[in-house]
Amino acid sequence: MKRQLNRYLQSDWFGPLLITIAAIALVSWFNPSFLSPFNIQILLLAIAVNAIIAYSQMVIIAIGQMNLSVGAIGGLVAISFSGFMEVWSIPWPVAAFMALSVGLTAGYINGLFVAMTGISAFIITLATLSIYKGLNLGITEATPFYKIPETVKALGNSNFIEPLPWLVLPTIIVTFCLWYLLNRLPVGRFILAVGGNEHAAELSGISVRKTIITAHAISGFLAGLAGIMLVARLQIGQPTIGDDWLILSFAAPVIGGAVLTGGHISVAGTLLGVVIVAIITQVLVLFNVDPFLVQVVLGLLILWAVGLNKLREVRAARSMDELGAGA
Amino acid sequence: MNKVIFRAADISKSFPGVKALQQVNLSLNHGSIHALLGENGAGKSTLIKIITGIHRQDHGKLMLDDQLLQLHGPHDAISQGIGVVHQERNLIPRFSVSENIFLESLGNKGQTRIDYRAMHEKARVWLDMLALDVDPATPVNRLSVAQMQLVEIAKALSLKSKVLLLDEPTASLTSHETDTLFSVLHRLRDSGVSLVFVSHKLEEVQEICDQVTVLRDGVNACESRPMQGLDRQDIVKLMIGRSEQIPDWAARARSTSGIALELQDVCTSSGHRDVNLQVRRAEIVGLYGLVGAGRTELAKAILGKDRIVSGTIEVDGSPATISNVADAVEKYHIGYVSEDRKQEGLILMHSIIENVGITVWQQLGKARAFLTNRTIREHVEPYINKLEVKTPSLNQYVNNLSGGNQQKVSVAKWLAAGVHVLIIDEPSVGIDIKTKAYLHELIRELADTEDTAILLISSDMPEMITLADRIVVMNDFQVMGDIVNTRDYATMSEAIMNLIHRKQADKPTTPQTTPQPDNRAAL
Repeated sequence: MKRQLNRYLQSDWFGPLLITIAAIALVSWFNPSFLSPFNIQILLLAIAVNAIIAYSQMVIIAIGQMNLSVGAIGGLVAISFSGFMEVWSIPWPVAAFMALSVGLTAGYINGLFVAMTGISAFIITLATLSIYKGLNLGITEATPFYKIPETVKALGNSNFIEPLPWLVLPTIIVTFCLWYLLNRLPVGRFILAVGGNEHAAELSGISVRKTIITAHAISGFLAGLAGIMLVARLQIGQPTIGDDWLILSFAAPVIGGAVLTGGHISVAGTLLGVVIVAIITQVLVLFNVDPFLVQVVLGLLILWAVGLNKLREVRAARSMDELGAGA
Repeated sequence: MNKVIFRAADISKSFPGVKALQQVNLSLNHGSIHALLGENGAGKSTLIKIITGIHRQDHGKLMLDDQLLQLHGPHDAISQGIGVVHQERNLIPRFSVSENIFLESLGNKGQTRIDYRAMHEKARVWLDMLALDVDPATPVNRLSVAQMQLVEIAKALSLKSKVLLLDEPTASLTSHETDTLFSVLHRLRDSGVSLVFVSHKLEEVQEICDQVTVLRDGVNACESRPMQGLDRQDIVKLMIGRSEQIPDWAARARSTSGIALELQDVCTSSGHRDVNLQVRRAEIVGLYGLVGAGRTELAKAILGKDRIVSGTIEVDGSPATISNVADAVEKYHIGYVSEDRKQEGLILMHSIIENVGITVWQQLGKARAFLTNRTIREHVEPYINKLEVKTPSLNQYVNNLSGGNQQKVSVAKWLAAGVHVLIIDEPSVGIDIKTKAYLHELIRELADTEDTAILLISSDMPEMITLADRIVVMNDFQVMGDIVNTRDYATMSEAIMNLIHRKQADKPTTPQTTPQPDNRAAL
């Protein structure tokens, strides 16, 4: 029993889960309307999209890199999606498929540059961030696409079962697929292996280049998916979609216990990280706090999370020492 | 029994500007342990990299079971049954033991589900064989260094290795762990695996190997000859082309010079108990002990990096409170040459001048508002010249220097800082014998001419006996006693080992030599 509890305490999702439950309990005690179906729906909509954004960064954190261009890819895919439908009158499922390919390709290009040149992903994605954003603004001239089909609008704003919005479906599927990929499939294990020790992975016969490219392609695909989901939710093809993703995309995985040097992430932890951020944002709104303060709180949350991760590391090292001394 | 299973014949390999190997031969018997020896730069690692498919030879051929081998990458060597345990750890820290062992075999089936339970069961077999009692599901970063080493061996063996290369497998092991490893290697040999064993520790090589190949400057100094009939001196002679000798330096009496550093009943947070230690000016005090005896930790406590719980430290006769390393350097003029020069001692991607200058920036910066490269150069250059660092320019990156020259830079850094007490931790790790001898002269000269008090930490017994005026023996975070160095290898090494293995309860006695009153006081 105690051992079981210890295992939970050491896992990445346990802390965030406790905080989530505590936060929900506390807030609904202060303000019962927090658990109203309408509010739950609003929360779930935010969580659904933000989780995909966080995952797209999480996959890159897993290989020990950063993707600064998640927002730019999301924006480019969003305007591609709405542009395909408005300008070329392509049916929405086909347009979605094509737009997702744009995201996949953008991520693939990131990965290709990083893997082939060996230049840090930080710099490469900083450059492609500018390129993708530039393409976006060049195509749209900063004006949104307004003609979004009714079906898409409905999918982004209605529920399939009360109070679950349609948008949570892709998020549930992606969450499960990512978990399966990173924990059960060799391809996913390779991503974590490369993040954990690139040199060792290479000497074990893993193709580091392919793995890096795969991770970036997945990241691009997910960023694109988030972009499409936002078009559906906002009912408009905004060129500014993605501009404010960056901080959240790092915050959620880090709150979920991800190690920024790579090799260790938690899908469940990241999802809970998104939930915590969503709840806090909501609470600030419910209590009429200036929305700009949300940024401050998010920043504090990141600091708190990395601090906590560090503390856990130190503790783990210390308990290792004690083990060593006892042996 | 003496069937040759693997042969590297006439291997040559050039890198731009260097002939790394020239017509090197090595033949490996079935079920034997074969030593591959040579100084740094002799070509050992190049040969290993060729045998394991990381590099490709320019000339010559590799034969396994009389079949010609064509290796196009590490994967080919693995599939042919040639396994290797590299010098650096090659495990994925957060992956489980079993996943690390079977990482290679996952590559062929990227889309199929991993069956962890089956994997753990398969891993169990290899772990049992190596007598490694850990749960296969444990992440490897929870293991000790020795256990990780065994996991790497399991990993190599799981690929059905007939030939297993071990590059410095004992470098980070304690002597007890080394013993365990050796019994595993014996068992492997008896079961028919052929092992190639690379090590700098000749004692180990003599203990465990049947055959030996020595490389010198990229050519065979000897080729797969039986270990029998070779003694340590013979091997050294093969490696460096002459015999190693403990230089015939005169013993020096330092009992009259002032005490530079004194520890009284010091206990530390890392576990030292009642440590008493004295280093006089111009004296070289050796701190000998097995790995894990707490020597480096003691050095770090003196520098203020680890906390001192009780007891006092005196520098130049007055009590010192050293709360951090900056204090140690600036206020008390204590310097520390780290055993891990690549990680802790130097900033590899910076130039020599930046590395040496790092200790004087503050000092120079106070005198003049701006630090120019010229002021630093004026201050630093004499020391670089004095130590004869071989480099085309002071702007050379430290990364590009040889191990010996890097070590000189890390010593120069402290000379420039004008330290009175210098703690030198394992100065000759990874340095070849010639450079080592030079470095020894240098350390000795430092004490003689600059009046520097030197505390030398080393696990290398000949080095200790060459350099130290007095040897303090530590074990299990305690000082076991000290001995005045008579520079006679046989009696000294025996005395040291006796001290290490002496029970704590025993009364300290100063063995062998004429006891000096003030040395005894340090006990």
